[in-house]
Amino acid sequence: MKASSFHLNLLRQNEVLSSSPVRLRIMLPVGATLACAGLLVWWGVLFTQIILAKTQAQGIEDDLTAKNSAHAEAIQKRDLARELKLQLEQLEYYKSGVRSIGEPLAKFAEVVPLRVQLKEMSITPPKPQVLMPPGLKVPLFGPTENVETQKLVIAGLTTKETPVVSLMESLENGFEKLVTSEHKINSFKQDNAEIDGRKLLSFEVEYTMPERRFAK
Amino acid sequence: MKLQLTKDKTIEIKFPSGGAKSVSDITGVELFSPGEGECPAIRLVHRKKSWHVAASGFVKPPDGELPMRWEDTPHQPAWEFPRDFASPHAALAINSPMATFAQSTADAVVQDMTTGLAAQHDERQPGGDKSSSDGKRRFGIKREQSTQLAPKPAAKQEPSARKPAFPSSGMPVSENGRRFVVRPMSEENFHLCASLPEFQTLWLSRLLPEGKRPTASSIQVAESALMASILLQPEFIAADGSALAIFARSDATYLAGYKKGEPVLWRRCPGVGGILAMRDAVRKTLGLDEELVDSVLNESLIDPRPALEPFVRPILGQLSLSLDYLTGKHGLKFDHAFLMGVDAGASHWSRYAEESLHLRLVSPNPFDGLALDKGVDAGDASRHLIALGAAIAGAEVSA
Repeated sequence: MKASSFHLNLLRQNEVLSSSPVRLRIMLPVGATLACAGLLVWWGVLFTQIILAKTQAQGIEDDLTAKNSAHAEAIQKRDLARELKLQLEQLEYYKSGVRSIGEPLAKFAEVVPLRVQLKEMSITPPKPQVLMPPGLKVPLFGPTENVETQKLVIAGLTTKETPVVSLMESLENGFEKLVTSEHKINSFKQDNAEIDGRKLLSFEVEYTMPERRFAK
Repeated sequence: MKLQLTKDKTIEIKFPSGGAKSVSDITGVELFSPGEGECPAIRLVHRKKSWHVAASGFVKPPDGELPMRWEDTPHQPAWEFPRDFASPHAALAINSPMATFAQSTADAVVQDMTTGLAAQHDERQPGGDKSSSDGKRRFGIKREQSTQLAPKPAAKQEPSARKPAFPSSGMPVSENGRRFVVRPMSEENFHLCASLPEFQTLWLSRLLPEGKRPTASSIQVAESALMASILLQPEFIAADGSALAIFARSDATYLAGYKKGEPVLWRRCPGVGGILAMRDAVRKTLGLDEELVDSVLNESLIDPRPALEPFVRPILGQLSLSLDYLTGKHGLKFDHAFLMGVDAGASHWSRYAEESLHLRLVSPNPFDGLALDKGVDAGDASRHLIALGAAIAGAEVSA
């Protein structure tokens, strides 16, 4: 048995009022308004943060762009400095490879016997360096080899063999900067020239010069 | 709660606490009871698997009178209850001369909704056809109707232009300035239909202010509440909800039939008054003062038969007809019937019924079947019959 069969309620559901002091029809809009206000504030904070972040990002981006160009410039300068440093190093190699032959040559005049007339003193040109090997765009600064060997060729006229031997013996001591002990007589023969009715002899001696080292 | 989205579109949000279902603390109140200055009120509380009468008494009526015209509705009093009756919900049972409560067929209900106040208004005009709204398939009463039209709908619509849809069970609908609600009866094609003018319903719905205990969760017509008042009676439950009952009110007498807890019959005894008429007959016939009527009816020193029998006989005649109807139509047989609302002289009613119908009339205390809390007086229970019925129906008690 249910009393609902006898409940002829003329009151509509939407007319039923709440007896609770907390009124839903007031609290609901108030709550909704507060929620909306909260959302609005949150959105405002979020928006401000986004604006700040965007500004910050823009600043960082601008800074980065500026720094990129500065960095590229710095890199370029560093490369240039490295290049120059390398060039300097190379120049240092050449510096250490400088032959100081002025002093031995000045001294050489003193040891040339009277019966010897020097016609030529020449240093053979060094072996040409390959500064542009295949596949390389920029030529090498050189030298390509650390050691360079040259020859000193002494050619002259004499009356007889002895003065030449004397010259060669003189060169064995005190001329280490100019020549080594290694030498080769390229020619020693009768020449057409005469002096005081006597036939002269021409000679050509090839000395190996000390090694020219390109190193620090 | 309704939220208006656009001009034409609204959405309704239903809150679970808004309905009358699962009500466990409710105050039933009878308003504007004839002959009563105050409003009978009773508070029912469901506690420990049983219903308790937590408070019973009378509350001061609301300021002002029940409006009889739309124009009166702006005067809206705020009604507050004493602390004893401050339950969350209130079921209001209204005695209105403009209310209707009847056992009707669906056609008769629709006819009522079609004619509404407009037709009743026409009936009162010279040349109006009074027989048209009598309702041949209609039983019960139709009390004095409002002569006031609803301000707009009635003025705009022609009564015959549109046929209103039959309302769903228990769902109140407004038609032609009245609010209707129906419930199906146990007998096929019959419905209990209650109606009240829209302005009275609105006035009642706003009577108890929001945010204070109690607020109205149910508005019922007094007769409807009366019919529900015996549902918790132990004898009624023992008879599996099948019973025949006489409800005597101050101004009218009604017969109600129940079959397995469902309503099968409701009718007003035609040509018969209520308790006031009975007392008046006793007083005048026996030449008594008003104060002595109860003594004469309850004691056996003076036989009130000459005064009482002419009043009771027509009721017993109607009871006999109803008995035959319930036996023939529904196969219900009764050796007793309930007599409710009779404070004094119930034994005489029972004796007359046994003599003429071989039917015993039992007149239980309306509070039988309910646990009484401390301080509740069951002696004055008959005057709270409608308030009790309103609370039982409002709480949708199941036994």
